[in-house]
Amino acid sequence: MPPKGSTRKKPSAAPSTEGSATPQIPTLAEQLSILSAPRPFKNSNYTKNSSRRTKNLKAVLGQERERERVEREKRRTEREEAMEIDGAATSVMIEDDMPTYLSIEAPPSVLPQRRYCDITGLESPYTDPISGLRFHDKSIYELIKSLSASAAKEYLAARGVNPIVK
Amino acid sequence: MQLVNEGARVRVRARMRMLVRVRARVSRSAGNRGYTPFNLHYSDSSSTIKPPFLSYDPHRSAHTPLVIDNGSTSLRFGFSSSSTPQVVPNIVSKYKERKAGKQLLLFGDTIDAEGGARSQAKTPWEGDVLLNFDALEHALDYVFIHLGVDTSTVDHPVIMTERLASPLHSRALTSELMFELYSVPSLTYAVDAVLSFYHNILPTPPSSFLAASGLAISFNAASTSVIPILNGKGIMSQAKRIPWGSQQASEYLLKLIQLKYPTFSTRITAAHTNWMLHTFCEMSSDYTALLRRLRDPEQLRRVERIVQFPFVLPAADDRTEEEIARAAEKRREQGKKLQEMAAKARLDKLVQKESDLQYLTNLKERKAEETRREWQNILQSEGFNDDAALDQAIKKLEADLRRTRKKAANDGDDVMEEPPFPLVDTPDDQLDEESLKEKKKQKLLKAGFEARARARREKEKALEERAAEERKEGKERAADPSAWVARVRAEHASVMERIKERNRRKAALGDRKSAAAQARMKNIASLAADERVGKKRRKGGGEDMFGADDEDWAIYRKINTAAVSSDEEEDFTQLQAVEQKLLTHDPTFGIEQTHAALSSQRSAFMSAFRPQYVEGDVEGRARIHLSTERWRVCETWFAPSMAGVDSAGLGEVLQNVLASFSLADRGHLVQNVFLTGAPAQMPGLADRLHATLRPILPPEMPLRIVRAADPSMDAWRGMAAFAQTEEFARVGVSKAEYDEWGGERVRRWWGGNWNASVL
Repeated sequence: MPPKGSTRKKPSAAPSTEGSATPQIPTLAEQLSILSAPRPFKNSNYTKNSSRRTKNLKAVLGQERERERVEREKRRTEREEAMEIDGAATSVMIEDDMPTYLSIEAPPSVLPQRRYCDITGLESPYTDPISGLRFHDKSIYELIKSLSASAAKEYLAARGVNPIVK
Repeated sequence: MQLVNEGARVRVRARMRMLVRVRARVSRSAGNRGYTPFNLHYSDSSSTIKPPFLSYDPHRSAHTPLVIDNGSTSLRFGFSSSSTPQVVPNIVSKYKERKAGKQLLLFGDTIDAEGGARSQAKTPWEGDVLLNFDALEHALDYVFIHLGVDTSTVDHPVIMTERLASPLHSRALTSELMFELYSVPSLTYAVDAVLSFYHNILPTPPSSFLAASGLAISFNAASTSVIPILNGKGIMSQAKRIPWGSQQASEYLLKLIQLKYPTFSTRITAAHTNWMLHTFCEMSSDYTALLRRLRDPEQLRRVERIVQFPFVLPAADDRTEEEIARAAEKRREQGKKLQEMAAKARLDKLVQKESDLQYLTNLKERKAEETRREWQNILQSEGFNDDAALDQAIKKLEADLRRTRKKAANDGDDVMEEPPFPLVDTPDDQLDEESLKEKKKQKLLKAGFEARARARREKEKALEERAAEERKEGKERAADPSAWVARVRAEHASVMERIKERNRRKAALGDRKSAAAQARMKNIASLAADERVGKKRRKGGGEDMFGADDEDWAIYRKINTAAVSSDEEEDFTQLQAVEQKLLTHDPTFGIEQTHAALSSQRSAFMSAFRPQYVEGDVEGRARIHLSTERWRVCETWFAPSMAGVDSAGLGEVLQNVLASFSLADRGHLVQNVFLTGAPAQMPGLADRLHATLRPILPPEMPLRIVRAADPSMDAWRGMAAFAQTEEFARVGVSKAEYDEWGGERVRRWWGGNWNASVL
């Protein structure tokens, strides 16, 4: 089935192509564009949800956090009420911990962090006290000493350390 | 270079060339990270290309379930009756073409058909969250257009993937689109990893899935999740998500490469590094042991992979020698002509200045003759405010003249014979105006010439002295060679020691707390103090004797850290001379003992880690050597803190998840550790997981790690298979239920999320 756009364009395009020696071939991108493809399946009465664009990631996660808090509160009161009525019986639903986007996030690591050389990635027993960079051996220390302050900072940033300028 | 390496390099080169051609104008906007479009097959030669739309006829009013795996990298979709889904990159670009001014809407691979379209590209995902619903609407439009749906509603039950514990905002808006915009009769959300697990448990009859248990590890583009599955049911409350995926890993690799090659000829993008990640990087089952092995430079060279980026060789000079010579001659002549012109202009200027000076001096002499008022008027008319301004102008002119004369004396000392200056000795009164001017000129020329001659004489004298010294030294050397060598060597050593000492001092001064820095501060303080006379001096009269001894002034040099001291330059010239002497006359002194060679020495490890190419090597300078990075990047899945992400790694999370189950359940889970998602194809991943899990489990507990048959496609296949079961009809939300509950609520079922669900 031809796209709607091509049928619509034909009457206007035809006379111009007859006159010129080389017919106007639509560019590859124009041919691939689905902008004018028919979409009969769409409900024409639908209006876009207003909150669709306004919320950024931070707002969405904040909303999620707030909802989780309310939910937990609600369940706690429910459980208390249930215990007041009947000391032993609690429903399965309440026992289940409801997972949310934030609650399933992995916790920070509690294992001791291994130290790797910032330049080469090898094991690094040493840290340069001036730049804070970790290094593997003497030759890499020489290199660190020759680094500019901004380059050293970038190396630190790759490890997620953003030093405060003293 | 190893043979293996060579092969890899050739392949890489071909691949990169293509990569760079295809992605000539990739931009690093947030929307398109982590996606590599290698499967672009369109060519401009064919006159018309229609997107390959499918026929809708077999499914018209058949209510075939529609399966959509909405991944953050690729969108996979199709009717459940087909065996494989359609796969396109999940990326959309609405772009206004500049030439024709036409709006274009490109989706998936087709984005690369238009140069600027990629910079405007967007994906429905922001990291791990479905957030851009305009893009999602375009994506769903594309799905239905592609499938050829031409009815007024999408009359198919839809099963669609959703992130593990997806934020309700995303779910609500997706449901809204599905039910209100496309009017689907029912919608089911599934967690991709569980359905991929389901697919891989088949073809044993689906009923046995209820007995299946396992630990699904889902590797996504922006996250990695661990989902325990017990008795055919995902235990979502114990699931965990690590905010680290292939997209972050590519970014990390990009950062590492940028740090390793700060001045690379080509701009490296996340798409390049994503490709490198998939092609060269692997998990190591014992990272520490590997690093210890790679300490050996030879080993490092053996494992390295070289990526050759495209480069342009500088145009070769194909002129003949004669032509080159002619061109050089021409250039020389032109230079000469220019020099002559410049000299003439300089001379004219000099004469002008001279007469100006004459005029002004005359003017000044008139001061005595005029009255005060008239003198003031004269000054005003000449453009001076007062006497001081006039004096200043005179002084400036004099200084200029002096400088120019001096300069003229210094250059051009190849003029040997003195040209005649006939007018110089003629008295002024015998000359007319024209000749007077000429005389002035000649006077100047003569002065310059004399100065030059003087300079030349001095130079010759110095040369002679040097030659005499050399002769003397030669004699000395001939008389007792070993003594001479010893003396020069000692000289060399002492200069080297001086340079070293100076460097040490410079380094020490960089540290505020070092003894050298403190001593310097003390010196400054005592110089600044009013009472700086020492005790000894006070005895000898109480006068400030600073400066009586010339050595006193050295203190100012000592406390000045910023300026390059002239001693340093002197030392270097002396060192060069001594080294030259030793190189020519001492056979035991090699080039590797010179200061230049010693200071540019690099350790064998560093030159294996980042081989250096000489200045003109364009090909070498367009190369990236990947060595430790090949494992370092993959290690981040197990230690995201390496890249600054404060989260437990995969090993720790697995341990935590397993610890929350009883021993029996744990046994069920680890019998089937299941890896899915495109990054699960990383080489060595299963071995690494085995090495991580085995030590934390009882020795008799069986551990089995399996990878999905097709990690990127099996989630879709699982959904398609599930959509054909009877159970499918029971787990979806119907239009009526959506109207009643809203978009957030779903039914609780074994393969779906639990949050905001109803039983």
